[in-house]
Amino acid sequence: MRHLFTLFRRELASYFLGPMAFLILLAFQVIAWLNFWALVDDLSRSTQSFSGLRDPLNTYISGSPAFWMGLFVAIPALTMRLVAEERRSGTIEQLLTAPVTETEVVLSKWLAGVVMYLALLVPFFLYLPFLYYQAKFYFDVGPVISLGLGLTSMGMMFVAIGLFFSSLTRNQIIAAVLTFATAFTLIVATQVAFSFAMVTRRTDLAEAIQFVSVIHQVNTFGSGQFDLRFLALHVSASVLMLYLTVKVLEYRRES
Amino acid sequence: MIEVERLSRNYHAVRAVDQVSFQVGRGEIVGLLGPNGAGKTTTMRMLTTFLRPTSGRAVLSGHDVLDEPLEVRKKVGYLPENVPLYLEMRVREYLGYRASLKDVPRSKRRSSIDGVLERCKLTDVESRVLGHLSKGYRQRVGLAEALIHDPDILVLDEPTAGLDPMQIREVRALIRELGDRHTILLSTHIMSEVEAVCGRVLMIVKGKVAVDDQLDHLQVQSSIVVEVRGPAAAIRKVLEATPGVSRVDVTDQHGEILRAEIQTKDGADLRETLAQRIIQNGWALRQLDHRRSSLEERFVRAVREATILTDDRADKDHPTETEAA
Repeated sequence: MRHLFTLFRRELASYFLGPMAFLILLAFQVIAWLNFWALVDDLSRSTQSFSGLRDPLNTYISGSPAFWMGLFVAIPALTMRLVAEERRSGTIEQLLTAPVTETEVVLSKWLAGVVMYLALLVPFFLYLPFLYYQAKFYFDVGPVISLGLGLTSMGMMFVAIGLFFSSLTRNQIIAAVLTFATAFTLIVATQVAFSFAMVTRRTDLAEAIQFVSVIHQVNTFGSGQFDLRFLALHVSASVLMLYLTVKVLEYRRES
Repeated sequence: MIEVERLSRNYHAVRAVDQVSFQVGRGEIVGLLGPNGAGKTTTMRMLTTFLRPTSGRAVLSGHDVLDEPLEVRKKVGYLPENVPLYLEMRVREYLGYRASLKDVPRSKRRSSIDGVLERCKLTDVESRVLGHLSKGYRQRVGLAEALIHDPDILVLDEPTAGLDPMQIREVRALIRELGDRHTILLSTHIMSEVEAVCGRVLMIVKGKVAVDDQLDHLQVQSSIVVEVRGPAAAIRKVLEATPGVSRVDVTDQHGEILRAEIQTKDGADLRETLAQRIIQNGWALRQLDHRRSSLEERFVRAVREATILTDDRADKDHPTETEAA
């Protein structure tokens, strides 16, 4: 594991050598700013019994379509080139003939992706102290922490999924499409399936679908319930995906 | 240094490398020669642990490629074909990154980077971005990278491909220089490269070792070229019947004139005997020449023999098809 830091540093640096990382960071900065503006606007109309007031964090982040739209673009964009680009350009041959293990390679790429993902979330949390100290809106800090942890574990899972798809192909577009499709299934399709199951009154099925629905998970974290089952789900999905990615790299030596 | 025993590699149904065995001793520069698609790159990839062999054994510097791949990688410097590099990095930065991956101790990193920069004549481009460098410079960066951890063995896959003649000269000179300290296995399909750099030749054709010999042995093999006017079949018979002749190849024949290449046993010079016999038969001797066979001829012969062999085998495997045809 002693090469982990060296590999990680190069992965992280390589994000900033193209325009992609800057564009995504900028987009998330804009989303955070717009959402914060909308949040403050809602809060200032407190006389009308606006539901967002009871659950400000979910209005701010997890209830916002712009945030999820941003993620749909950002997750594939951040993960698609991690392995696919090395395979396309042939640098994978240099990488895997250096005395490093596949596990080190996979973990370093995953960590770099997770750090980039967390950097996207930073602006959202940077605005909150202003709300607390300047606008004197004394919200609970607990839900902020639980949402932060929940979004982190969710991001870990999505980056691991993206990394896995990136290891399957040398074509970044294919990796991006597969990652997008998976994220779409977990975020949007589960919501649709949940509503469908509710309408058809199959409540046990609805409950099962709700458990894997990422929006539901994040809403739970955002409302201050730090549900360890969701954390366990995210962490085990990440571990599984990372393990499969290592196996894909090992298998490439055979075939 | 390198011991390879019955090494094979399949890509699905295709056998790319077929039971290759050879050994390379310390300090040797061995040229791996073969037509495109013969299995040179696959062999090298197996030796550098990038690919796992389907069967067989390869031991480099005392470490087996299957049992201790990480140890093998520490002892081997590898220059892959087409020199893949992170084009967005700078020369010194890239070498520093690779040095740390290859466990060059932090205290020695600076001096070893300076060392390879100087040996590969890269000092004046050390702060340039790799993507902006010419092919020749990139090739040298690849070589510098392979050398950075001072490996026992260097595996170079087509180190001069795509370079201009001046650059080729420089890279060859560099490789010859490196031969003092490292064991080198380099692949190429350029004959003159082998003659210029290597001490030994390993020819691979269709995944098999076709020739494995010292370069000076190969060059000693000689042939005699004759051009005679007369009845072709009779001339041929006489030439073949001459004691010491092992083979007669008719290279050209038009009208009454016959050109042939004669291989003699142990490379003996039979010019005088041959001349006597031709003249005794009353034919006109137009040319008689003794020449050392070039590596290229040896190569062409090896490829031709291998092709004929596999074709024969294919015929035996599918006799009905051939009969039907």
